[in-house]
Amino acid sequence: MIEFINVEKVYPNGTKALENINLKIDQGEFVAVIGLSGAGKSTLIRCINRMHDITDGQLFVDETNVSNLKGKQIRRFRRRIGMIFQSFNLVTRTTVLKNVLVSFVPDNPLWRKITGLYTQEQKRKALEALDKVGILDKAYVRVDQLSGGQQQRVALARTLAQNPDIILADEPIASLDPVTSKLVMDDFKRINQELNISVIMNIHHVEVALEYADRIIGIRKGEVVFDGESAKVTDEILQEIYSGNIEELKAALEESHAHV
Amino acid sequence: MYDKIFPPKKIELSNGRVVLEKRSRTPLILLIVMIAVYYSAQVTGFSFEVLFKRISEFFIIIKEMLKPNWGYIDGIWPELMSTLKMSLFGSVAGALIALPAALLASANIIKNRVIVAVCKTVLSLLRTMPTLVTALIATYVFDLPATAGTVAIFLFTISYVGKLMYEAIENVDMGAFEAMESIGMTRIEAFRYAIIPQILPGYLSTSLFCFEGNVRYAAILGYVGAGGIGKLINETIGWRDYSSLGMIVLMLVITVYTIETISEHFRKKLI
Repeated sequence: MIEFINVEKVYPNGTKALENINLKIDQGEFVAVIGLSGAGKSTLIRCINRMHDITDGQLFVDETNVSNLKGKQIRRFRRRIGMIFQSFNLVTRTTVLKNVLVSFVPDNPLWRKITGLYTQEQKRKALEALDKVGILDKAYVRVDQLSGGQQQRVALARTLAQNPDIILADEPIASLDPVTSKLVMDDFKRINQELNISVIMNIHHVEVALEYADRIIGIRKGEVVFDGESAKVTDEILQEIYSGNIEELKAALEESHAHV
Repeated sequence: MYDKIFPPKKIELSNGRVVLEKRSRTPLILLIVMIAVYYSAQVTGFSFEVLFKRISEFFIIIKEMLKPNWGYIDGIWPELMSTLKMSLFGSVAGALIALPAALLASANIIKNRVIVAVCKTVLSLLRTMPTLVTALIATYVFDLPATAGTVAIFLFTISYVGKLMYEAIENVDMGAFEAMESIGMTRIEAFRYAIIPQILPGYLSTSLFCFEGNVRYAAILGYVGAGGIGKLINETIGWRDYSSLGMIVLMLVITVYTIETISEHFRKKLI
């Protein structure tokens, strides 16, 4: 369970990214965070695994007070949280399998870290993770030879190999075409349901968010303006979330209509 | 300033509008260059007369060198080998140390600004020092000629490969690094798994290129007593034994050419 209590985040340059955030996300939920660019969606997600520090309030993940963690504790804590990025963030010069295997590195002894060798068991687990996202046949292909959708699935497999409780996804389909987006979103949904992993996702495609997520959190100027089931999201609510920028809302809607 | 002394030329268009054309700076620059060249010639004592009178000496030496003293090979061989050993060992050790040095000098990996600044300064100081001077100092410190040469090459390699590598590291795509951190790696571990694969081909290529250059450097290090074939060059010139010198140069050309060809072959494969 993830719990935000009066969380506030001010960047060193004075920008207020998050203000008065109070949220409770249960294990196994599929949450989509929507809002305009710059509303604080990425900041919200990155606070959960301490990629960003919060400046006020408290943030608990399964009774762990995230702000109190230090050095090694942060890294141990991050082991349980997977992260997916818009630009995949893979090492493109090496093979798919090696990209997945890195998720075992923090637990390896020093000599393995230096030599970059992995155990047979770890290789088996990595291959299984690739199988779960359906790209087992690409295991020994170099990442730069894969399409965007395939690369995002490699990233997903890398996260799965970590065996996380929570997956944070920062615009996972923003650089993918509609068809591939659907495949990747299906993967997310399946992982969420079969493995009971919580998924918290930033997403610009409102229609896709409504279709896949159980719960929608709307963010505007660093504050939560909507929090509820996807089914309860109406046009008025969307207008409120995206207020002031009707054009952008329309564009977002049209874009996501194009997806279906 | 220049525009005030030489006011811009006014061009009036047919519709009455005025365009200002700035005066060309070229004549001024030419004048400065010519004055500088004249003074350089004065200071260095350059004279065309001497150049024409003595140029024949050059061809005499070349003629002597073109009749290499084949019997001298036995004398050259051990020194040539020690030159190669010096540059190989110096380059390998230097390239190995350059990597951590480059890591410590990379502002995007190391967050401590003091460490970064110190490492960058050390790398550039090492680079400003000519290898010949380093070698000279090293001969006084270590007393053993070959060791001194190796140390000089070692230090130069660190500075050269280190500088190019920290630039490569700072320009690298940090996405994968961020992902590794989110997995729970330390910054050093993330460097090992996200940055190294990206810079490795460039690193190996740079190191090979540096080794190529080092073989050539090593050939003259003997001049300051830092071992290798330079010692023989110095001796043979001293004795005016130009045919032996021709033999040394021939051997050197063959060796350097061979190494360059091999290294170029592998570098092409790397990139």
